[in-house]
Amino acid sequence: METSCYLFVSSILFAIGIYGLLTRRNMIRMLLSAEIIFNAALLAFLSLASLDAGYGPVGGAIVVIAISLSAAEVGVIVSIAIMMFRMRRALDVYELKKFRG
Amino acid sequence: MNPLSDPLSVVFILSSLMSVIAAVLIVHHKSIVYSAFFLSVLGVGNAILFTLLGFPIIALFHLSVYVGAAVTFILFSVVMLKEAPVVEPPVKALAVIAAGVLALIMVKIFSVFSAEPSFLLNYRDLTALLVTKYWFALIVAAIALVTTLIEAITLARREV
Repeated sequence: METSCYLFVSSILFAIGIYGLLTRRNMIRMLLSAEIIFNAALLAFLSLASLDAGYGPVGGAIVVIAISLSAAEVGVIVSIAIMMFRMRRALDVYELKKFRG
Repeated sequence: MNPLSDPLSVVFILSSLMSVIAAVLIVHHKSIVYSAFFLSVLGVGNAILFTLLGFPIIALFHLSVYVGAAVTFILFSVVMLKEAPVVEPPVKALAVIAAGVLALIMVKIFSVFSAEPSFLLNYRDLTALLVTKYWFALIVAAIALVTTLIEAITLARREV
């Protein structure tokens, strides 16, 4: 399969993620949509890295670090969501304004 | 040439469909728990695509760290939470237009790359790069993962 096919799949995933991010107010659903975008970005990155044998290992190394950081980011956001739910009994992001110092 | 005659093309088509359908279900499924489950399906589909591109080690890493840890963490956490209402329909229509235009622009940009990927990631090259050139990023990623571990322990120990 040509690289453009992988990039096409990545574009579709990216668009679905953007749609979810724009239409949802639930913090966890927004996080899940952001994760779709992250997966789309990884696919696009590796598709482009596979075009050149010189850039392949560099792309792989960056993706390994990106996946690790994404796992950490998921932990942080889910912790904020749980804290917010305990304090407000809601996950609506509009409620976040009330958390301002 | 018929793409269905090549087994790799069939695997590509099936895994792409799996990823796209899982992504749609993540956004549209009523239950947030099932949405989190479909994120793991998307992760598996993406891992298959990574393998087809010549990155089997990255695919294994994606399965173990992302699907195995991050998505499972979300899945267990959302059980404690409940749904909030979605935005009004006019915003939804605008979001559909925005996502469609974005997809078209990206497809147009990406259509330039028409080469066939013929690459297989070498494990030695990857580890050599990580410990020589990207050692600092590796340490930062490790520290970030440790903070996640501390968060998870704190959440588990706190009384509801």
